[in-house]
Amino acid sequence: MTNAGPHRPRRDHEFVIMSATVRRPPLAVVLVALVMLALGETAGAAMSRLKPEIQRYAAARVAANPAAHGVSGSAEYDDEVRDRAIFTAEAGLSFFHLHGEGVGLVLFFSTALVAAVVPSRRARTVLYMLLTLGGLFPLGYLVYGAAVLELGRDAGTELAERWLLTPLGISAIAGLVGLWLAAARRRP
Amino acid sequence: MTDAESPTWRIPPRWVLLVAVLSIVAAEVGGGSMARFKVELTRWARDGMLAHPKVHGLVGVRDVDERILDEALVKFDAGLRLFHMHAEGMGLVIIATSMVAATVIRSVTTRRAIIALLTAGGAGYPVGYLVWSVLIPSYGLERAKTIAEWLVWVPFGTATIVALWCLAGLVAWSMLERRPA
Repeated sequence: MTNAGPHRPRRDHEFVIMSATVRRPPLAVVLVALVMLALGETAGAAMSRLKPEIQRYAAARVAANPAAHGVSGSAEYDDEVRDRAIFTAEAGLSFFHLHGEGVGLVLFFSTALVAAVVPSRRARTVLYMLLTLGGLFPLGYLVYGAAVLELGRDAGTELAERWLLTPLGISAIAGLVGLWLAAARRRP
Repeated sequence: MTDAESPTWRIPPRWVLLVAVLSIVAAEVGGGSMARFKVELTRWARDGMLAHPKVHGLVGVRDVDERILDEALVKFDAGLRLFHMHAEGMGLVIIATSMVAATVIRSVTTRRAIIALLTAGGAGYPVGYLVWSVLIPSYGLERAKTIAEWLVWVPFGTATIVALWCLAGLVAWSMLERRPA
């Protein structure tokens, strides 16, 4: 398709708009993005429909792990500890919902760009791997919510941050920086 | 050349893209309006609540009533913000997921059904937050939430969740089919 009119001869310097087929990423990568979106949606629905059940479960886990939460036997203090743990667990689920939707989309569109603009097959594979690992980042919040209930607030947060959120987040950032560099180096 | 040899995207139907873009535009307009007409919106909601004192449990004591009104206004504002956020996000979700469905699903009937569910669910769900906000002044927090839930969130949210999991299953199935024996 060109912007030159049908009755006018096209000159060499005229701008030509061309369309082409756009490559897509491997289905495995697309599947991870879709599953992350679906999990994000499902977590959102669960947060809304199962709020009392989730709160009851969280309270039961705090009661089952009194030492981890520093439960003292003083009702007033223990209520505060339990409420804080429940709030943290709910925050984990809420972050999972938010990041599942957002990171799912980031994974989808960034790998679509990798497929379209990165010419080297090896570079594409590395970027797919980094971005897909980064796409699993929201799972860290699910682990965060559960670990806080089982191990206590500080230990649970430490576990999720050290083993999941930080490495997966770094992987996502490295993948996006790699995509940026590959796109910047690309010759027209 | 087969799809497996040269995997490329297929574009979803134009109406799907139009719905998705419209959802994003509505979200942007909603966000802009929240900032531009904050005072007017708050005044409208407050007047609506004062016109329905029984619904909100207003007792005529200023200290008590102001606290109730403030809480309802926070929820009213939250509904508008959630509409803004979800409509933007779901517009993008519609584009991404319908593109996958158009590319991967071979059966025409299944493809159409999944794309229709993704589009209707994705575009309809955020409207629930708008409905919730608009109904708060007349129906109160809980009743407005219940109406929005059963009228919008449950049917449209379920459509999206079901369609997304079906699509994920079909993509997984497609991967298994393409794997060389």
